[in-house]
Amino acid sequence: MGDERVRYAKSVDPVRTDGRNVDESVGVLSGEASHQRVRHGDAHLKDVARKWEHVPSSGGADVTYYDRPMLKQSVWSIDIPLYYFLGGAAGAALTLGAALQLVTPREDRSTRKLSAVCHWTGITGSTIGAGFLIHDLGRPARFLYMMRVFRPTSPMNMGVWILSGAAPTAITTGLLLNREGVLGTIGEVAGYLSGLFGAALATYTGVLVSNTAIPIWQAARRWMPVLFAASGAATAGSVIDVFVPSSSCRTTQVFGTAGRLVEIVAAKQVELAANEIPKVGEPFRRSAPGLLWKAATALTAASLVATMMPGKTPSRMKTAGLLGIAGSLCLRLAVHYLGNVSARDPLASFHQQRGTH
Amino acid sequence: MEAFLTCGEARELERTAARDDTQNRTQRKGFFTDTTLCIGCKACEVACKQWNQLPDDGLLFTGMSYDNTVALGASTWRHVAFVERPVALANQDAGAFSWLFNSDVCKHCARAGCLESCPTGAIIRTEFDSVYVQPDICNGCGYCVVNCPFGVIDRREEDGRAWKCTLCYDRLKEGMQPACAKACPTDSIKFGDIDELLETARKRVDVLHEKGMHEAYLYGEDAASQPGTEGLNAFFLLVDQPEAYNLPPNPVVPTKNGKDAWVSFGIAVAGLIALAIGSAMTKSEGCA
Repeated sequence: MGDERVRYAKSVDPVRTDGRNVDESVGVLSGEASHQRVRHGDAHLKDVARKWEHVPSSGGADVTYYDRPMLKQSVWSIDIPLYYFLGGAAGAALTLGAALQLVTPREDRSTRKLSAVCHWTGITGSTIGAGFLIHDLGRPARFLYMMRVFRPTSPMNMGVWILSGAAPTAITTGLLLNREGVLGTIGEVAGYLSGLFGAALATYTGVLVSNTAIPIWQAARRWMPVLFAASGAATAGSVIDVFVPSSSCRTTQVFGTAGRLVEIVAAKQVELAANEIPKVGEPFRRSAPGLLWKAATALTAASLVATMMPGKTPSRMKTAGLLGIAGSLCLRLAVHYLGNVSARDPLASFHQQRGTH
Repeated sequence: MEAFLTCGEARELERTAARDDTQNRTQRKGFFTDTTLCIGCKACEVACKQWNQLPDDGLLFTGMSYDNTVALGASTWRHVAFVERPVALANQDAGAFSWLFNSDVCKHCARAGCLESCPTGAIIRTEFDSVYVQPDICNGCGYCVVNCPFGVIDRREEDGRAWKCTLCYDRLKEGMQPACAKACPTDSIKFGDIDELLETARKRVDVLHEKGMHEAYLYGEDAASQPGTEGLNAFFLLVDQPEAYNLPPNPVVPTKNGKDAWVSFGIAVAGLIALAIGSAMTKSEGCA
């Protein structure tokens, strides 16, 4: 008798239980969720009751369930917007690198050098970006499981295939471009391929966010890919202008400036699309990420002004580049966190689905 | 010779064979949750936790009626919603007040957002037409979480994988019914073949209407009533608007609108390539 009591107390601690309360010396953990990992700790009683001023869901037009979110917000950490940023810059740089290959003869040394700079920017961005992507997985060791299937309905799956096309072709190009003979030809071909994959890499993340149930992202689905591509071009141009000033030239400046211009226009369109249903666009007007979004536009606009002013000096071009990079980074972060705000507001979904204006 | 088939004929033959095969193999199973019978006892929540050996997710007191479970999540696969309204319900003598309960669960949508968005193929459609997450495949990318228009599936932080109701896949394979339906004392949760459940549900709505409860209606019972998900394998009988139970009024699986984004993708990719070529063609003055 006394024996059994001791045995039970050994394996089930009533204070620090995982809630399963299965004594593993007498019961078997074999249920569907028995392998769900639990951190033993006392997270209990983390919330206390709030005072209700009125009976919740008391009729009227805006019924909710105690104002609780209807959707789940993304579980992604800051890694993912950083990946959007790096992947965008890398992809656009690869496209520019391939375009330079295309329009200039192999003998044009200086342009070829710029092409190589673009490719190395692409290599750096895509590999570090991939690192962020893997780091954010709940089970990073299973990253390659993404390549078990080819699934066009999943932008994330498509993205992994795009990334796994872009990074290796970019690395091949970086190593072999401008070599002699067969190796040089392989490098040349890999360069063009990396350019195509790069354009997709910079853009698909726009599809990734808008192909979700999050109201604000869903509403902006027609402009999000354009915004992401433009932001990628803006960053790629700026990064080369700032960090490889010896390669900064009309080409990178035109690329970056056009990127920034389209970025501002597309950002406005995203905002307009979301604002069609006022509740969906509300995070733009009333939330911290909304301020970040405004800051992003301001930074990009400032960068444009600095670029456009007559009498270019190297230091001013550098400032313009830095402003552009900061603008794009803020934009990616803002998109991510605006989505989380939107997911937490049940009325955003309800109004969107009912078409409430 | 007659033995030769044209391409079209061969394809048609294959299609017919595949359809017959699916029809033979698939027994469409699901839930019909009749909220007018629910008494809010939460036996379904307990049975689910016990059978599946789900861990707890912290104890908290919310003050939201008797709902301290709050929402479905990675370790909560049944959730009873408690709706307190200052509105009378037909056939009830409680003054200007009514108390509604609804045992919420994964809807196992005919077109499932989680399944279509899963990049690893971890989420599959089973022979019972339910949607199942294979824990040994899931790599915790979290994309299904933002793709579920009902906010059902979630990633458990410590575990790193996404989890949701399995429709008791293990029990179904043994010919048993899901634990929640088995435990429900009022038969509010009915489990069975979808066709039969549908018939039961429609009759039930008629009966309630006859008795004067005209608010009663079915939620998500077929593709016609909910085109965005093409029907739910776990559908409900409700007596207030879906929002009151924290259900979306007109959920749409994100991939249904996916084309818009992919068209924009095509335009943006073309634009980016054009811009790159245009920039490359500008005179590279100042280039080192």
